[in-house]
Amino acid sequence: MFLQTQGITKDFGKLRAVNNVTLEIEKGDIHAIIGPNGAGKSTYFNLITGYHRATSGKVLFKGKEITTLPAYSRCKLGITRSFQITSIYPKLTVYESVLMGLLAHRKVTLKFFSSAKKFFKEEVWRILEDVGLSDQANTLGDSISHGDKKRLELAITLGTEPELLCLDEPTCGMSPEETDVAMGLIKKFSGERGLTILFTEHDMSVVFGIAKRISVLHQGTLIADGAPQEVRASEEVQKVYLGGTA
Amino acid sequence: MVINQIEQKESTIKKNGWLILLVIIFLIAPIFLTEFYLTVLCEALVMSLFALSFNLLFGYMGQLSFGQAAFYGLGGYTVAMLIMKIQFNFWLSIIAGILVASIIGLIVGYFCVRLRGIYFAVLTLAFGQLIFSVVFKWHDFTGGDDGIQGVFPPGFLKSPVAYYYFILIVFLLSAFILWKIIHSPFGQTIISMRENSERTEFLGINIARYQLITFVIAAAFAGLAGAIWVPFYRSVAPSYLTWIKSGEPVMAAILGGPSLFWGPVLGMFIMTFFHSWVLGFTIYWPVVMGALILAVIFFLPGGILGFIQEKVSQRKEMKNRE
Repeated sequence: MFLQTQGITKDFGKLRAVNNVTLEIEKGDIHAIIGPNGAGKSTYFNLITGYHRATSGKVLFKGKEITTLPAYSRCKLGITRSFQITSIYPKLTVYESVLMGLLAHRKVTLKFFSSAKKFFKEEVWRILEDVGLSDQANTLGDSISHGDKKRLELAITLGTEPELLCLDEPTCGMSPEETDVAMGLIKKFSGERGLTILFTEHDMSVVFGIAKRISVLHQGTLIADGAPQEVRASEEVQKVYLGGTA
Repeated sequence: MVINQIEQKESTIKKNGWLILLVIIFLIAPIFLTEFYLTVLCEALVMSLFALSFNLLFGYMGQLSFGQAAFYGLGGYTVAMLIMKIQFNFWLSIIAGILVASIIGLIVGYFCVRLRGIYFAVLTLAFGQLIFSVVFKWHDFTGGDDGIQGVFPPGFLKSPVAYYYFILIVFLLSAFILWKIIHSPFGQTIISMRENSERTEFLGINIARYQLITFVIAAAFAGLAGAIWVPFYRSVAPSYLTWIKSGEPVMAAILGGPSLFWGPVLGMFIMTFFHSWVLGFTIYWPVVMGALILAVIFFLPGGILGFIQEKVSQRKEMKNRE
């Protein structure tokens, strides 16, 4: 058992955003969470990564309960995330941004007197080359294109050497070409680094293109979970979500 | 990349060249300066150290502290009380000053680091005024509004020139340590917190913990500044802890440029020397200072040093293009 949520529920006042979701995510999978707007995808995501605390239910990671752990502790255990609205360091260079992930993960952030630049040069360059940003290493985060910012965020999270990478709408706002590149990267990291990837996405071609397993949320409730073909075939899913177009 | 590295090396030599020249000027300054201006120079150096401590929070961690003078004053009061009340050793008194400021910094910081932005600023202001009130009202212990007079350094530091060199050494060492901290992995972490604390938290950093460590370091250096100033000035008063004093490093940082390491130092030098010069003509110093700050905010939003750096890098770019 890699990641598991047991009857997890999140209420915002009277609104139940996530309702009693029990789900397992297998190690090494590329697992998509889909659903119409307001289905609770992002909230479910936030419960796993520690952005929100669950109202009830449990989150277990590698057999350990993490339901009440703060985000930074979950990250130390190997869960890292990207945000729907790209979250990078606007005034740090691409290189410095990726370095920050490595500094944080390898527990050297309490070194006060050695130069930060001397750390993990090889690792930073390897990540930059992997995501294709090495030629922009000295550019500031806010001066690169939108697609590159998304890639930079991915690069920063890779620095923390995660086991579970949670991507909230990884291709949101990207052009079709950028989307292809991003999907290629996700596939590559899942294969090469053995990463488990959990992502939300509204673009169905992306979802059915790379996901090995799909879970469908509707009004906070899990209505389907399985291989892409099974989900596509499910009548309930077609009724509430795919609208028969898929 | 190789060319980049060579250029970088050349520019660091150039930068360090400026620094070495400045240090030499400071070393020979007492030969040229009258005692009055030597005193002003001492004050500028001590206040610059105070401003550097403040800028660790403001410029690098991105949180505005409006109570930094409390730690400056605590450092000063600790030294004054230890020397005057129990004739404690001068050097140990200074270390005690740093310790007291750090410990109170730890307590105050524990509450402040939970907040960000304006709430952080207001809470530091409140704690600063609270500590001021205690010092001001507790007449039996602190001397209240009389302050403490007659605090002397050891014999060999009694002359202004000797004490000037002492201040200069402490300033240079402290600036070096702060410089190292800012460029260390820890420094990189607090800068990344300033840039995007949410992103940093989701990389596994406990934001509050790092803010607290930074707060304590800043308090320690503010305490050191106060601790070395009082034996030079021979006295300490509650005004050292007020919010007006806390405002001085804020203004210095804005004036010089908070995003650059030496920005607040330049700001503090301009303020201190300008102050002693303007006082010769008018007592309405705050009006002059206010006008100066306004001019900088409107016309040089990156501060004076920020403006200079921008111009220098623009010229370099032009040269490179040619």
